[in-house]
Amino acid sequence: MDYPLIIATAFGAIALYLMMPRGEAWLFKLGMLIGVLALGTGLSYLTHWATLHFPNHPGIGPGVFFYVFSLLAIGSAVGVVGHSKPIYSALYFVLMTLAISGLFVLLLAEFMAVVLIIIYAGAILVTYVFVIMLASPSGVAAAAVDYDRVSADPLIAILVSFLLLGTILEVLFSSSAPGTAAAVVGGAVTTAHGAHWNGLAALGQNLYSRYTIPLELAGVLMTISLVGAVVIARKNAPRTHTLGSGDMPTE
Amino acid sequence: MNPVTTSFTDPVLARYLALGAVLFVIGLVGFMTRRNMIMIFLSTEIMFQGVAVNLIALSRYWHNADGQSFVIFLLTVAAAEASLALGLVVMLYRRRQTLNVDMWSDLQG
Repeated sequence: MDYPLIIATAFGAIALYLMMPRGEAWLFKLGMLIGVLALGTGLSYLTHWATLHFPNHPGIGPGVFFYVFSLLAIGSAVGVVGHSKPIYSALYFVLMTLAISGLFVLLLAEFMAVVLIIIYAGAILVTYVFVIMLASPSGVAAAAVDYDRVSADPLIAILVSFLLLGTILEVLFSSSAPGTAAAVVGGAVTTAHGAHWNGLAALGQNLYSRYTIPLELAGVLMTISLVGAVVIARKNAPRTHTLGSGDMPTE
Repeated sequence: MNPVTTSFTDPVLARYLALGAVLFVIGLVGFMTRRNMIMIFLSTEIMFQGVAVNLIALSRYWHNADGQSFVIFLLTVAAAEASLALGLVVMLYRRRQTLNVDMWSDLQG
Protein backbone atom coordinates (compact mmCIF):
# COMPACT_ATOMS: atom_id res chain seq x y z
CA MET A 1 0.00 0.00 0.00
CA ASP A 2 1.28 3.42 -0.90
CA TYR A 3 1.53 5.85 1.97
CA PRO A 4 0.44 9.01 0.09
CA LEU A 5 -2.76 7.21 -0.83
CA ILE A 6 -3.42 6.28 2.81
CA ILE A 7 -2.69 9.84 3.90
CA ALA A 8 -4.98 11.34 1.27
CA THR A 9 -7.80 8.94 2.16
CA ALA A 10 -7.40 9.63 5.89
CA PHE A 11 -7.36 13.40 5.32
CA GLY A 12 -10.50 13.05 3.21
CA ALA A 13 -12.22 11.07 5.96
CA ILE A 14 -11.30 13.65 8.62
CA ALA A 15 -12.40 16.49 6.35
CA LEU A 16 -15.78 14.92 5.61
CA TYR A 17 -16.26 14.15 9.31
CA LEU A 18 -15.70 17.79 10.18
CA MET A 19 -17.94 18.99 7.37
CA MET A 20 -20.98 16.97 8.30
CA PRO A 21 -23.77 19.22 9.56
CA ARG A 22 -23.13 19.95 13.20
CA GLY A 23 -24.19 23.53 13.56
CA GLU A 24 -20.73 25.05 14.00
CA ALA A 25 -19.26 27.05 11.16
CA TRP A 26 -15.58 26.98 12.13
CA LEU A 27 -15.51 23.18 12.09
CA PHE A 28 -16.86 23.31 8.53
CA LYS A 29 -14.08 25.69 7.50
CA LEU A 30 -11.45 23.53 9.16
CA GLY A 31 -12.87 20.53 7.31
CA MET A 32 -12.71 22.45 4.05
CA LEU A 33 -9.03 23.20 4.68
CA ILE A 34 -8.22 19.56 5.41
CA GLY A 35 -10.27 18.53 2.39
CA VAL A 36 -8.20 20.76 0.12
CA LEU A 37 -5.11 19.18 1.68
CA ALA A 38 -6.47 15.70 0.96
CA LEU A 39 -7.29 16.55 -2.65
CA GLY A 40 -3.85 18.08 -3.13
CA THR A 41 -2.14 14.99 -1.75
CA GLY A 42 -4.27 12.75 -3.92
CA LEU A 43 -3.67 14.75 -7.08
CA SER A 44 0.09 14.94 -6.57
CA TYR A 45 0.11 11.21 -5.95
CA LEU A 46 -1.85 10.70 -9.20
CA THR A 47 0.70 12.69 -11.15
CA HIS A 48 3.57 10.86 -9.49
CA TRP A 49 1.94 7.49 -10.20
CA ALA A 50 1.34 8.36 -13.85
CA THR A 51 4.90 9.51 -14.49
CA LEU A 52 6.26 6.48 -12.63
CA HIS A 53 4.30 3.80 -14.48
CA PHE A 54 3.62 5.40 -17.84
CA PRO A 55 6.69 7.55 -18.47
CA ASN A 56 6.26 7.78 -22.22
CA HIS A 57 2.53 8.35 -22.45
CA PRO A 58 1.43 11.53 -24.17
CA GLY A 59 -1.76 11.68 -22.09
CA ILE A 60 -0.12 12.52 -18.80
CA GLY A 61 -0.37 16.25 -19.37
CA PRO A 62 -2.18 18.50 -16.94
CA GLY A 63 -5.69 18.09 -18.31
CA VAL A 64 -6.98 21.36 -16.90
CA PHE A 65 -10.61 20.76 -17.76
CA PHE A 66 -10.66 17.39 -16.03
CA TYR A 67 -9.30 18.88 -12.82
CA VAL A 68 -11.66 21.85 -12.88
CA PHE A 69 -14.75 19.71 -13.48
CA SER A 70 -13.78 16.98 -11.04
CA LEU A 71 -12.93 19.41 -8.25
CA LEU A 72 -16.25 21.13 -8.87
CA ALA A 73 -18.05 17.78 -8.77
CA ILE A 74 -16.38 16.63 -5.56
CA GLY A 75 -16.85 20.00 -3.87
CA SER A 76 -20.52 20.23 -4.72
CA ALA A 77 -21.09 16.57 -3.74
CA VAL A 78 -19.67 17.43 -0.32
CA GLY A 79 -21.96 20.45 -0.34
CA VAL A 80 -24.97 18.20 -0.97
CA VAL A 81 -24.06 15.91 1.90
CA GLY A 82 -22.89 18.63 4.26
CA HIS A 83 -25.44 21.42 3.91
CA SER A 84 -28.09 21.59 6.56
CA LYS A 85 -30.87 22.98 4.37
CA PRO A 86 -32.30 20.52 1.82
CA ILE A 87 -33.07 23.15 -0.79
CA TYR A 88 -29.42 24.24 -0.89
CA SER A 89 -28.38 20.61 -1.13
CA ALA A 90 -30.62 20.25 -4.17
CA LEU A 91 -28.99 23.29 -5.76
CA TYR A 92 -25.52 21.89 -5.05
CA PHE A 93 -26.69 18.70 -6.72
CA VAL A 94 -27.56 20.66 -9.86
CA LEU A 95 -24.03 22.10 -9.82
CA MET A 96 -22.61 18.58 -9.49
CA THR A 97 -24.72 17.40 -12.42
CA LEU A 98 -23.41 20.23 -14.59
CA ALA A 99 -19.80 19.42 -13.66
CA ILE A 100 -20.28 15.74 -14.44
CA SER A 101 -21.88 16.50 -17.77
CA GLY A 102 -18.79 18.57 -18.53
CA LEU A 103 -16.72 15.48 -17.79
CA PHE A 104 -18.96 13.49 -20.14
CA VAL A 105 -18.22 15.98 -22.92
CA LEU A 106 -14.51 15.47 -22.24
CA LEU A 107 -15.13 11.73 -22.60
CA LEU A 108 -16.71 12.29 -26.05
CA ALA A 109 -20.14 11.29 -24.76
CA GLU A 110 -21.97 14.47 -25.74
CA PHE A 111 -25.36 12.81 -25.94
CA MET A 112 -25.02 11.44 -22.42
CA ALA A 113 -24.00 14.91 -21.19
CA VAL A 114 -27.16 16.46 -22.61
CA VAL A 115 -29.31 13.60 -21.35
CA LEU A 116 -27.79 13.96 -17.88
CA ILE A 117 -28.69 17.64 -17.75
CA ILE A 118 -32.21 17.12 -19.10
CA ILE A 119 -33.09 14.15 -16.90
CA TYR A 120 -31.21 14.95 -13.70
CA ALA A 121 -31.17 18.73 -13.55
CA GLY A 122 -34.41 19.06 -15.44
CA ALA A 123 -36.69 16.27 -14.30
CA ILE A 124 -35.43 14.52 -11.18
CA LEU A 125 -34.20 17.62 -9.37
CA VAL A 126 -37.43 19.48 -10.09
CA THR A 127 -39.28 16.58 -8.48
CA TYR A 128 -36.98 16.79 -5.47
CA VAL A 129 -37.50 20.54 -5.15
CA PHE A 130 -41.27 20.08 -5.35
CA VAL A 131 -41.20 17.47 -2.59
CA ILE A 132 -38.89 19.61 -0.46
CA MET A 133 -41.38 22.45 -0.77
CA LEU A 134 -44.42 20.22 -0.19
CA ALA A 135 -42.97 18.43 2.80
CA SER A 136 -40.98 21.08 4.61
CA PRO A 137 -42.28 21.46 8.15
CA SER A 138 -42.66 25.21 8.34
CA GLY A 139 -41.95 26.73 4.97
CA VAL A 140 -38.79 27.20 3.00
CA ALA A 141 -37.74 30.37 4.75
CA ALA A 142 -37.75 28.78 8.20
CA ALA A 143 -34.55 27.78 9.90
CA ALA A 144 -33.25 24.26 9.38
CA VAL A 145 -35.07 21.72 11.49
CA ASP A 146 -33.35 19.67 14.13
CA TYR A 147 -32.85 16.48 12.13
CA ASP A 148 -31.18 18.47 9.35
CA ARG A 149 -28.87 20.44 11.61
CA VAL A 150 -27.27 17.44 13.26
CA SER A 151 -26.31 14.34 11.31
CA ALA A 152 -26.73 10.89 12.76
CA ASP A 153 -23.43 9.63 14.19
CA PRO A 154 -21.14 10.12 11.19
CA LEU A 155 -18.04 8.50 12.71
CA ILE A 156 -18.73 4.83 11.95
CA ALA A 157 -20.30 5.60 8.56
CA ILE A 158 -17.27 7.62 7.48
CA LEU A 159 -14.82 5.00 8.75
CA VAL A 160 -16.55 2.21 6.81
CA SER A 161 -16.99 4.29 3.66
CA PHE A 162 -13.41 5.51 3.52
CA LEU A 163 -12.17 1.97 4.16
CA LEU A 164 -14.04 1.10 0.98
CA LEU A 165 -12.51 4.08 -0.83
CA GLY A 166 -9.00 3.11 0.31
CA THR A 167 -9.53 -0.43 -0.94
CA ILE A 168 -10.76 0.75 -4.33
CA LEU A 169 -7.86 3.18 -4.73
CA GLU A 170 -5.40 0.49 -3.65
CA VAL A 171 -6.74 -1.87 -6.31
CA LEU A 172 -6.62 0.90 -8.90
CA PHE A 173 -3.16 2.24 -8.20
CA SER A 174 -1.10 -0.42 -6.51
CA SER A 175 1.57 -1.82 -8.76
CA SER A 176 1.71 -5.28 -7.21
CA ALA A 177 -1.88 -6.46 -6.83
CA PRO A 178 -3.35 -8.46 -9.72
CA GLY A 179 -6.15 -6.89 -11.65
CA THR A 180 -4.87 -3.34 -11.35
CA ALA A 181 -5.41 -0.78 -14.02
CA ALA A 182 -1.82 -1.22 -15.11
CA ALA A 183 -2.25 -4.99 -15.42
CA VAL A 184 -5.68 -4.98 -17.03
CA VAL A 185 -4.60 -2.62 -19.72
CA GLY A 186 -1.48 -3.61 -21.51
CA GLY A 187 -3.47 -5.07 -24.41
CA ALA A 188 -3.81 -3.62 -27.85
CA VAL A 189 -7.54 -3.06 -27.57
CA THR A 190 -7.21 0.62 -26.82
CA THR A 191 -5.64 1.50 -30.10
CA ALA A 192 -7.17 -1.22 -32.23
CA HIS A 193 -10.19 0.80 -33.26
CA GLY A 194 -8.26 3.64 -34.77
CA ALA A 195 -8.47 7.30 -34.03
CA HIS A 196 -12.18 7.76 -34.77
CA TRP A 197 -14.88 7.19 -32.24
CA ASN A 198 -18.38 8.42 -32.82
CA GLY A 199 -20.03 7.87 -29.49
CA LEU A 200 -23.60 8.68 -30.48
CA ALA A 201 -23.71 6.47 -33.57
CA ALA A 202 -22.17 3.60 -31.65
CA LEU A 203 -24.62 4.12 -28.81
CA GLY A 204 -27.66 4.07 -31.09
CA GLN A 205 -26.49 0.99 -32.92
CA ASN A 206 -25.72 -0.75 -29.65
CA LEU A 207 -29.01 0.16 -27.99
CA TYR A 208 -31.20 -0.90 -30.89
CA SER A 209 -29.37 -4.05 -31.86
CA ARG A 210 -27.87 -5.62 -28.80
CA TYR A 211 -30.07 -4.20 -26.05
CA THR A 212 -33.44 -3.98 -27.80
CA ILE A 213 -35.38 -6.07 -25.28
CA PRO A 214 -33.81 -4.38 -22.24
CA LEU A 215 -34.71 -1.04 -23.80
CA GLU A 216 -38.35 -2.10 -24.13
CA LEU A 217 -38.25 -3.41 -20.57
CA ALA A 218 -36.96 -0.01 -19.45
CA GLY A 219 -40.06 1.53 -21.04
CA VAL A 220 -42.25 -0.96 -19.18
CA LEU A 221 -40.44 -0.05 -15.95
CA MET A 222 -41.15 3.63 -16.52
CA THR A 223 -44.84 2.91 -17.11
CA ILE A 224 -45.10 0.77 -13.98
CA SER A 225 -43.38 3.39 -11.86
CA LEU A 226 -45.65 6.09 -13.27
CA VAL A 227 -48.74 4.08 -12.33
CA GLY A 228 -47.22 3.25 -8.95
CA ALA A 229 -46.42 6.87 -8.19
CA VAL A 230 -49.98 7.92 -9.00
CA VAL A 231 -51.41 5.15 -6.82
CA ILE A 232 -49.11 5.97 -3.90
CA ALA A 233 -49.72 9.69 -4.13
CA ARG A 234 -53.50 9.68 -4.24
CA LYS A 235 -54.52 6.72 -2.13
CA ASN A 236 -53.79 8.19 1.30
CA ALA A 237 -54.60 11.81 0.71
CA PRO A 238 -58.34 11.76 1.54
CA ARG A 239 -57.88 9.40 4.45
CA THR A 240 -55.79 11.63 6.70
CA HIS A 241 -57.23 14.96 5.63
CA THR A 242 -60.85 15.79 5.17
CA LEU A 243 -61.34 17.69 1.98
CA GLY A 244 -61.88 21.38 2.36
CA SER A 245 -60.20 21.60 5.76
CA GLY A 246 -58.04 24.36 4.40
CA ASP A 247 -54.52 23.00 4.85
CA MET A 248 -54.43 21.01 1.63
CA PRO A 249 -53.21 22.82 -1.45
CA THR A 250 -55.78 22.81 -4.20
CA GLU A 251 -54.48 22.21 -7.67
CA MET B 1 -16.91 11.73 -37.04
CA ASN B 2 -15.14 12.95 -33.97
CA PRO B 3 -11.39 12.85 -34.30
CA VAL B 4 -9.71 11.98 -31.06
CA THR B 5 -7.87 15.13 -30.20
CA THR B 6 -6.47 14.12 -26.84
CA SER B 7 -5.14 10.68 -26.23
CA PHE B 8 -7.11 8.75 -23.68
CA THR B 9 -4.86 6.29 -22.00
CA ASP B 10 -4.38 4.34 -18.81
CA PRO B 11 -3.41 7.17 -16.44
CA VAL B 12 -6.34 9.22 -17.65
CA LEU B 13 -8.70 6.28 -17.15
CA ALA B 14 -7.36 5.83 -13.62
CA ARG B 15 -8.19 9.45 -12.83
CA TYR B 16 -11.78 9.01 -13.89
CA LEU B 17 -12.16 5.76 -11.95
CA ALA B 18 -10.76 7.45 -8.84
CA LEU B 19 -13.23 10.31 -9.27
CA GLY B 20 -16.11 7.83 -9.58
CA ALA B 21 -14.99 6.07 -6.40
CA VAL B 22 -14.76 9.37 -4.49
CA LEU B 23 -18.25 10.43 -5.58
CA PHE B 24 -19.67 7.02 -4.68
CA VAL B 25 -18.15 7.18 -1.19
CA ILE B 26 -19.38 10.73 -0.55
CA GLY B 27 -22.88 9.61 -1.51
CA LEU B 28 -22.54 6.56 0.74
CA VAL B 29 -21.58 8.72 3.71
CA GLY B 30 -24.56 10.97 3.05
CA PHE B 31 -26.85 7.96 2.76
CA MET B 32 -25.80 6.64 6.14
CA THR B 33 -25.60 9.88 8.10
CA ARG B 34 -28.40 12.18 6.98
CA ARG B 35 -31.67 11.83 8.87
CA ASN B 36 -33.93 13.63 6.41
CA MET B 37 -35.65 11.15 4.10
CA ILE B 38 -35.33 13.44 1.07
CA MET B 39 -31.60 13.87 1.71
CA ILE B 40 -31.13 10.11 1.93
CA PHE B 41 -32.55 9.67 -1.56
CA LEU B 42 -30.54 12.63 -2.86
CA SER B 43 -27.38 10.90 -1.59
CA THR B 44 -28.26 7.78 -3.59
CA GLU B 45 -28.39 10.00 -6.67
CA ILE B 46 -24.78 11.05 -5.96
CA MET B 47 -23.84 7.38 -5.86
CA PHE B 48 -25.61 6.85 -9.21
CA GLN B 49 -23.56 9.65 -10.75
CA GLY B 50 -20.30 8.16 -9.48
CA VAL B 51 -21.18 4.88 -11.16
CA ALA B 52 -22.15 6.73 -14.34
CA VAL B 53 -18.73 8.41 -14.48
CA ASN B 54 -17.09 4.98 -14.20
CA LEU B 55 -19.23 3.51 -16.98
CA ILE B 56 -18.73 6.40 -19.41
CA ALA B 57 -14.97 6.46 -18.81
CA LEU B 58 -14.63 2.73 -19.43
CA SER B 59 -16.83 3.01 -22.50
CA ARG B 60 -14.53 5.69 -23.86
CA TYR B 61 -11.47 3.68 -22.95
CA TRP B 62 -12.50 0.46 -24.68
CA HIS B 63 -14.27 2.24 -27.56
CA ASN B 64 -17.33 0.23 -26.65
CA ALA B 65 -20.83 1.67 -26.43
CA ASP B 66 -22.01 -0.82 -23.80
CA GLY B 67 -21.06 1.58 -21.03
CA GLN B 68 -23.19 4.37 -22.46
CA SER B 69 -26.11 1.97 -22.92
CA PHE B 70 -25.82 0.99 -19.27
CA VAL B 71 -25.90 4.65 -18.29
CA ILE B 72 -29.16 5.00 -20.23
CA PHE B 73 -30.64 2.15 -18.19
CA LEU B 74 -29.16 3.65 -15.02
CA LEU B 75 -30.90 6.94 -15.72
CA THR B 76 -34.17 5.09 -16.33
CA VAL B 77 -33.96 3.27 -13.03
CA ALA B 78 -32.91 6.47 -11.25
CA ALA B 79 -35.92 8.34 -12.59
CA ALA B 80 -38.31 5.52 -11.67
CA GLU B 81 -36.78 5.25 -8.22
CA ALA B 82 -36.96 9.00 -7.65
CA SER B 83 -40.65 9.20 -8.57
CA LEU B 84 -41.65 6.22 -6.42
CA ALA B 85 -39.44 7.20 -3.48
CA LEU B 86 -40.62 10.79 -3.44
CA GLY B 87 -44.24 9.64 -3.63
CA LEU B 88 -43.55 7.48 -0.59
CA VAL B 89 -41.86 10.40 1.18
CA VAL B 90 -44.88 12.62 0.61
CA MET B 91 -47.19 9.87 1.88
CA LEU B 92 -45.08 9.31 5.00
CA TYR B 93 -44.87 13.06 5.63
CA ARG B 94 -48.65 13.34 5.54
CA ARG B 95 -48.96 10.64 8.18
CA ARG B 96 -46.53 11.98 10.80
CA GLN B 97 -45.74 15.54 9.70
CA THR B 98 -41.98 14.95 9.86
CA LEU B 99 -39.24 13.82 7.52
CA ASN B 100 -37.06 12.39 10.28
CA VAL B 101 -36.34 8.72 9.63
CA ASP B 102 -35.89 8.15 13.37
CA MET B 103 -39.61 8.72 13.78
CA TRP B 104 -40.23 5.59 11.72
CA SER B 105 -37.90 3.33 13.69
CA ASP B 106 -40.90 1.42 15.00
CA LEU B 107 -41.05 -0.22 11.58
CA GLN B 108 -38.01 -2.32 12.38
CA GLY B 109 -40.18 -4.58 14.55
